[in-house]
Amino acid sequence: MADPYKPRAPFAPWDRRELPGLFDVEESARRVGNYKWAEMKLFEALGGWVATVPELDVKMRLGTHCYKHAWHADLWHKRLPELREMNPDRLTQPANDAMVRFVEALTEPEAPELTIEKLVGVYRVFIPRFIAAYTFHKNNTSQITDAPTIRSLNFILQDEFDDWRDGEMLIQSLIETPEEVERAAAHQARLEAIMLEAGGIAGRGSIGGDTGAAAAVGASNGSPS
Amino acid sequence: MRKFFPVEELARDSRFHQVTMRDRMADGRSVYRSEAQSKKVNNNRLVPSRPDASDAARGLMHGIFVGEIQALEGAGRTCHDFETNVEAPFALKLDMARQAWDEARHVEISVKLSDWMGSEIGQFAENTVLFEAACSTDPVLRLAGVNRALEGLAIDVFTTMKEFGDLAGDPYLEFCEDWMLADEVTHVKMGSDWLRRVTEGDPQRRTKALEFQSVVDKLFSYGGTRSDSQESPIGLARRFRELAGFTDDEVQDIAAVSMEALDERKAAVARMHAAAALAEASGQAGTHG
Repeated sequence: MADPYKPRAPFAPWDRRELPGLFDVEESARRVGNYKWAEMKLFEALGGWVATVPELDVKMRLGTHCYKHAWHADLWHKRLPELREMNPDRLTQPANDAMVRFVEALTEPEAPELTIEKLVGVYRVFIPRFIAAYTFHKNNTSQITDAPTIRSLNFILQDEFDDWRDGEMLIQSLIETPEEVERAAAHQARLEAIMLEAGGIAGRGSIGGDTGAAAAVGASNGSPS
Repeated sequence: MRKFFPVEELARDSRFHQVTMRDRMADGRSVYRSEAQSKKVNNNRLVPSRPDASDAARGLMHGIFVGEIQALEGAGRTCHDFETNVEAPFALKLDMARQAWDEARHVEISVKLSDWMGSEIGQFAENTVLFEAACSTDPVLRLAGVNRALEGLAIDVFTTMKEFGDLAGDPYLEFCEDWMLADEVTHVKMGSDWLRRVTEGDPQRRTKALEFQSVVDKLFSYGGTRSDSQESPIGLARRFRELAGFTDDEVQDIAAVSMEALDERKAAVARMHAAAALAEASGQAGTHG
């Protein structure tokens, strides 16, 4: 057995986590607040739609997915005080007005004949934007200082991928004619245009580029350690 | 999407047929025997030894199936219909979302059990009274009507079905019912806890909610379907109700309401028999006269 008193490196050779990250505490909290708001709107919409869809398999999936997004909202709700926001409701906000309009347009379809529109909005527009924003956050935040957020992101991303696959397969099974292809595409295009204006779940910079975020901490000169 | 979705517009595929509570109970294949079947029998409890047990169990399972769909829809609507932290606390809505997932699983379970028992979707009619209880504009009334009254009834139903599976030597049925029973106890407890928390300091609202629960309890004791008496197809699961947060007094009240409903039904049947006998007697008198 190796000598237990022999000094070892604090980070094992296979542990390549870095200290620098793109977000400071405030920016991380702002994004988390936007995520919580969007997840809440999504679980409320899915729950509300259950009674409006005649397809039994879709009805059951919406009920299942409703809970997953509620759980995501709860994870973000609990993360906010850890990011120094003691009043989580203060940061539980839409990224901007366009995001509010997006949710209004997303939840507009109600009639029982509009299951395709309901699913397209969620699984072809909203959830891909969640996956994008969460992936960007996970890959750009400090792997050490923001590890609790990363842990939640990993759980949530797994759900998002699973649900996206479920939803996409339901859509494919519901679309049977070229007219329905057009219906799906038209609704997707309408929602995408609003989402483009919103810039993503956390607004402009949801997936980088024009982030408007705090300067990268320690990113320009390497690790402060 | 509107707030407060009307029961008449619940979306269903072409296999489903919706009827009133009275129509459903009059269905000859219901768990409650027809008068002719039960005339000289004092034990109506759903047990495998009943000659009509197979049909009655299938009918009850289909009732569970459509009830779970409506419970799923009701929980989902509560997530949507109330503004967070203004009309309903965030944590309450999270619980309702959790319940939606549980009810979705129950639909999956009951559709597979129906298949296992040899029946098909739509073979029996659907009574939408459960969703009606979930249409209140006050979330506390929904909790009282759905989580405490109807999910409480579900505890009774699942306990009866679990025992039926045990007696019939059907471990598949017994296993599934036991799992659903565990969820229902959780839902009732959720309702009991939220009712207390949300109405703390508002005794008037609490009284109103409990009155609504009592109305729904009475409605679902229709015809004495559920009571302590062996004359009812479904028994009152006292132990599980206690686990779910019902006080002894509350269980006693439900038992009393259920017995009252059973007695009302028996009195109605007696009146019908008396009227028939009178009509027959006057008919005979007319013939002879």
